[in-house]
Amino acid sequence: MIISAYQTHIFILIFIYIILAVSLNLALGYTGLLNLGHVAFFGIGAYTSALLAIEGLPYIAAVIIAGLFASVFGYLLVKATDKLKGDYMAMATLGFSFVVYSLLLNLRDITRGAMGIPGIPKPSILGLTIRTNDQYLIFVMAVCAISVFIMYRMVNSPFGKLLEANRDNAVNLRVLGKNTFALKYKAMMTSAFFAGVSGSLYAHYITFIDPTSFYIAELILILTIVIVGGLASIKGSIVATIVIIYVPEMLKMLELPASVLGPVRQALYAMILIAILMIRPRGIFGKVDLE
Amino acid sequence: MILSCKDIHKSFGGIKAIQGCSFTVKKNKITAIIGPNGSGKTTMFNVISKLIDPDSGTIEFDGQDVTSLKDYELSKLGISRTFQDVKLFQNLTIREHLQIALSDSDERLLSNLFRTKDVESEKIQEVMEIVGLDKPLETYATDLSYGQRKLLDLAIGIAKPHSLLMLDEPVAGVNPRLRDSIKNILRELNNRGESILLIEHDMNFVMDLVDHIFVMDAGKVIAEGSPEEIQNDPYVLAAYLGNCGDEEEIECWT
Amino acid sequence: MKNEIKTSLGGKTIALLAQSIINGLITGSIYALVASGYSLIYSTNNFMHFAHGISVVAAGYMVYWLFSLVGIPFYVTCIITVILSAIFGLAMYRLIYLPLQKKGASNVILLIASIGILTFFQNVIQIAFGSGVKLVGYIEVSKGITFAGVTMTLLQIVILIISLIIFILLYQFMQKTKTGRNMRAVSNNSELASIVGINHIRISDISFLIGSALAGVAGILVALEQNLSPFMGTNLMIKGFTGAVIGGINYVPGSIVGSFLLGMAENLGILVLPSGYKDAIAFSMLFLFLLFKPNGILGKKEGRFDK
Repeated sequence: MIISAYQTHIFILIFIYIILAVSLNLALGYTGLLNLGHVAFFGIGAYTSALLAIEGLPYIAAVIIAGLFASVFGYLLVKATDKLKGDYMAMATLGFSFVVYSLLLNLRDITRGAMGIPGIPKPSILGLTIRTNDQYLIFVMAVCAISVFIMYRMVNSPFGKLLEANRDNAVNLRVLGKNTFALKYKAMMTSAFFAGVSGSLYAHYITFIDPTSFYIAELILILTIVIVGGLASIKGSIVATIVIIYVPEMLKMLELPASVLGPVRQALYAMILIAILMIRPRGIFGKVDLE
Repeated sequence: MILSCKDIHKSFGGIKAIQGCSFTVKKNKITAIIGPNGSGKTTMFNVISKLIDPDSGTIEFDGQDVTSLKDYELSKLGISRTFQDVKLFQNLTIREHLQIALSDSDERLLSNLFRTKDVESEKIQEVMEIVGLDKPLETYATDLSYGQRKLLDLAIGIAKPHSLLMLDEPVAGVNPRLRDSIKNILRELNNRGESILLIEHDMNFVMDLVDHIFVMDAGKVIAEGSPEEIQNDPYVLAAYLGNCGDEEEIECWT
Repeated sequence: MKNEIKTSLGGKTIALLAQSIINGLITGSIYALVASGYSLIYSTNNFMHFAHGISVVAAGYMVYWLFSLVGIPFYVTCIITVILSAIFGLAMYRLIYLPLQKKGASNVILLIASIGILTFFQNVIQIAFGSGVKLVGYIEVSKGITFAGVTMTLLQIVILIISLIIFILLYQFMQKTKTGRNMRAVSNNSELASIVGINHIRISDISFLIGSALAGVAGILVALEQNLSPFMGTNLMIKGFTGAVIGGINYVPGSIVGSFLLGMAENLGILVLPSGYKDAIAFSMLFLFLLFKPNGILGKKEGRFDK
């Protein structure tokens, strides 16, 4: 292989996070849904897919069910928070991710709680089992390309323009005869579906998941990516994912002890997030403000 | 008769905004609602387009009771409306605005996935010509002047399939030339058989254009009639002047 | 809670309930200290200062550092901690929130920034002190006083009394002083308050100072009662926030009542659910209140809904 094993690992993570970030941007940036619960969809997808695959379900079925299950929660979340405004919607969706986190911790009969789920099988598609990381890289690249293409088509279609119109002025859109609630849940379900898919890719790559992978630290990471890249910009989310995941890897050169490296990276993400909000809240490629 | 409101009541907290308002709008006519600020005109518009639910009373549109419909359902039945403070989609272009107004299939996610447009360009062009908005279709709404936004808002109202066009102060804040051209646009639309209901403070505009006038005060209709009848109704003048502390307002009545 | 609930005999249901309520009051008093500061800041600034949780944890670590490591006398440590907490809160307002507000940032941006601040300092604490739990251990925890089947430790009694004193002082301050009245005026109607000449930034400064000082007190009590860990701030913040939402987020007495209710709901809830569900109970209450009663049970009726 042309690239090192370590590079392969980083690229796999980048492709997984591109799906996650673009799907969040679909809800947050394009539709104007102030969703701080995206990380919960990621977790729901990861757990669903891992548990089904361990039960012996074919990978294809597991990943699709994972996505669909996450999108059911997406529907319920929109249904529940539809009438809340601004920061209350943000807090309620954040609350949703707390609820999911504590359920993952406490439904021990299903999720094994804090012990997590080890031994998640590598995907096997149409009889071909993915064994090496190089093969996994090609696989996630393909899934990422398809997912981003679908979301790219969606936001550039007449339907996608309605999503942006809903973000800019929902009242005006209803007066034009459009059912904005239906738009919102369709957008959120799509967003949650792809978050679930990326959760599945993550679970089957790392082969071990526990609830801490789907909590505030992860939320900060994807929010940072989406805001740095810019709201309502798929290109921005892709570029930002690469930068945000790749750059902190340079911290490795500082040769910090492993116990410090993690928190230093987390602190760096949080700092980037605050800095971008203060310096350039529209991000690199963003067109719209977060209202 | 295209629209009929019967005994509408609406309060916000302790404030009774609408107190038993009733009126009817005839087909193929231009009807105006006038009255001092705070008399409940815009609230009635919001009730008719179901952005606000009335506390009591019924709304009939095209012979059908629509009181319990949702805002977008009613809009689909054929009511178009504009807003007094023009509300556009800041990050969309003129073309995208008109596309949304004209389209009846854009709410479907999957069937639209591989389309970039679902409305013929000719239809968009046609509406642009009716209102005479001379701007490239790819211009963003934020880059338009106030008058141009007012025209685009009118264009959206016209483009959206409808049988009743409701305009909330279509010429507020526009220059006299644009005011006259809007007057001509509305007259032309009416000649083609459109039914129009409008709120307006500019009395010259109203008296010159409309067929029938309802005068609202304190949340109900206090008089109705043709422009001539209203202009010569001493009761209306007294009620209006008595309630109006705003000098500009008085001028536009004289 | 460190209390052993003796259930060896049957028919002790009432004692068990009483014990749970007492435990709930003690848990609730810490939540209430977090919530009251948070609410005070929310009511005058109208945005969600989620990083309030880090003020609590930073204060806890401050006590650990100054008292347990450096060896400064405990009461001196407490005074320094409260003062530094207040300054820390003010710094967050002046260095992050105020510049953001001046750039026209929406409440959602301020909320996201505050989650960023919380995460940043949690990790800084972990870098500085490590991820292992820290124990201050100034007051013995194990000694309990049993009365009518209900056991309370000395420390718990101290926590309850201190928080009650603080709440009375806070109430007196809000009702009796000019600054307190101005703060209530801003919270009721900030536009009107600025018309009558109340300086909004000064009121915000004071609310961050006092609110964060309350967080400092909460931090000291948490350090005495629990093991400190870098990431406890998120959990404490959610609990305080939940208490505030239950009682009424923009009304300080409401948020105190709400926090006590939350403490009791958690402790009564685990009578029927496994103890791991304590957090789940709180998180679910938060979610449900935000959805169905976002103004809380005592809060002022303001539009939390869109139209």
